[in-house]
Amino acid sequence: MFTLGSVLDNDFKSTIEDFSFETEFSTNQLMLPNIEKPFEFAQSIIGLEKDLQENENQLMFHQQKKEERKERALIKGYKGTTTLAFIYEKGTVVAVDSRATSGQYIASQSVQKVVPVNEYMLGTLAGGAADCQFFLAHLGRICNLYELRNNEKISVAAASKLLNNILYSYRNYGLSVGSMICGYDTRGPQLYYIDSDGSRLKNSLFSVGSGSPFAYGVLDAGYRWDLSKEEALDLGRRAICAATFKDSYSGGTVKVYHIDENGWVKISDDDASELWYRYEEKEKKKK
Amino acid sequence: MDSLVGFVGKNYVLMAGDTNAGRSIMRLKDDFDKLVQIDSHKILAKSGEIGDGNQFCNLIIRNVSLYRIRNETELTTKSVAHYTRRQLATAIRKNPYSVNLLLGGYDKKDQKGSLYYLDYLGSSKKINYGAHGYAALFVGSILDRFWKEDLDFEDGLELMKKCLREVEKRLIIGTRCFLIKMINSDGISVVEKVMINSEKKNEIEEEN
Repeated sequence: MFTLGSVLDNDFKSTIEDFSFETEFSTNQLMLPNIEKPFEFAQSIIGLEKDLQENENQLMFHQQKKEERKERALIKGYKGTTTLAFIYEKGTVVAVDSRATSGQYIASQSVQKVVPVNEYMLGTLAGGAADCQFFLAHLGRICNLYELRNNEKISVAAASKLLNNILYSYRNYGLSVGSMICGYDTRGPQLYYIDSDGSRLKNSLFSVGSGSPFAYGVLDAGYRWDLSKEEALDLGRRAICAATFKDSYSGGTVKVYHIDENGWVKISDDDASELWYRYEEKEKKKK
Repeated sequence: MDSLVGFVGKNYVLMAGDTNAGRSIMRLKDDFDKLVQIDSHKILAKSGEIGDGNQFCNLIIRNVSLYRIRNETELTTKSVAHYTRRQLATAIRKNPYSVNLLLGGYDKKDQKGSLYYLDYLGSSKKINYGAHGYAALFVGSILDRFWKEDLDFEDGLELMKKCLREVEKRLIIGTRCFLIKMINSDGISVVEKVMINSEKKNEIEEEN
């Protein structure tokens, strides 16, 4: 039966939908058993990396605690990676390595650690590959819907805030996401760091992963706002190269992307070890 | 690791926070503003986890705005403190926010500034001076010794710098850069973004 109230409700709902970002993943709807302390339960079945790191002798851990391990499903967050991004006068530079490790074993040397969100935004992957890939792809879906509904491109700030809110609602569930949302919108080049703990930081340069201290060293030493495009791309490439040289959990190939007002472009894809020796030769020739 | 310091003076409240945002041993951002504006005359200084701080402060800001829109009146600092404390207390046993807060505000009715100390466990206390984080260990005694009722602004600023100098000198984790804000009858203003270098014999370099 149509009452005035229900008609108004329907109208209200339809206008709200145009601007809403409610999706099945916006609010936490992870299925958990109906127990008293869902967070603690979730944490007990998900082995967080810090618990594993406490067991220094991994072999003994494997042998002695086999029974315990069977009861605990261990989802370890792999933060073995180096990704970096920075903004400068002419756009955004994103550089990543491509190694995935599983403990001491190199699982892959050709992982795609940059996920396109849309034509002018890229997301980087660090931490749990599955978590990052899923949520970044989901972010891409939401951004697409926003463009269709509102007839304008979503800003990088809004996109990063959407991802931040989704991840915040899952913050105690053992997700491992250390992603950077990099893009170019009406405000110019933008860069946000999004974490699975719920942090969202805006800055002009970030580096995430186990090799990030090494990358920061080269990046901080060479960074200026008024770099030329060639210099900026070279800086990103060198920083990742330095990180792969020092960090055993980073390596594979060095991929460099550039984002400007025309969208994102993949610039180069070089083998990390070859790159290092190429730079060394260059330095020798200079002398 | 976050340092927050605040105290009440003659018709103003002075608050300072360091400007580091980091993750384990790394500083991710060195111009992070921890003194969040709630409304025209209140500041919520946050410390603890970045994500929780952001989301919780947003919650408080939006709800205070909503109250103002619905009731066409501003809330007093005391009311905001009580509301904030209640939010923290109801969350602690379900979904805790790990944020420690200092709420500073100026009430036009009383013509006085007030400062509240709020904890992630849901404790709340009206104080004249206080601090959060490692700074509290060093700064507590300085404020006990030198804080007086109704300090002038110049004396207050000097006391604040004394506190920050001590934090920079003794805290092994590098926090050189601090942001100082003041709340008085005119509202909130940034006093200084200070870079403290105690090696130079207690000279202070100022950044704009």
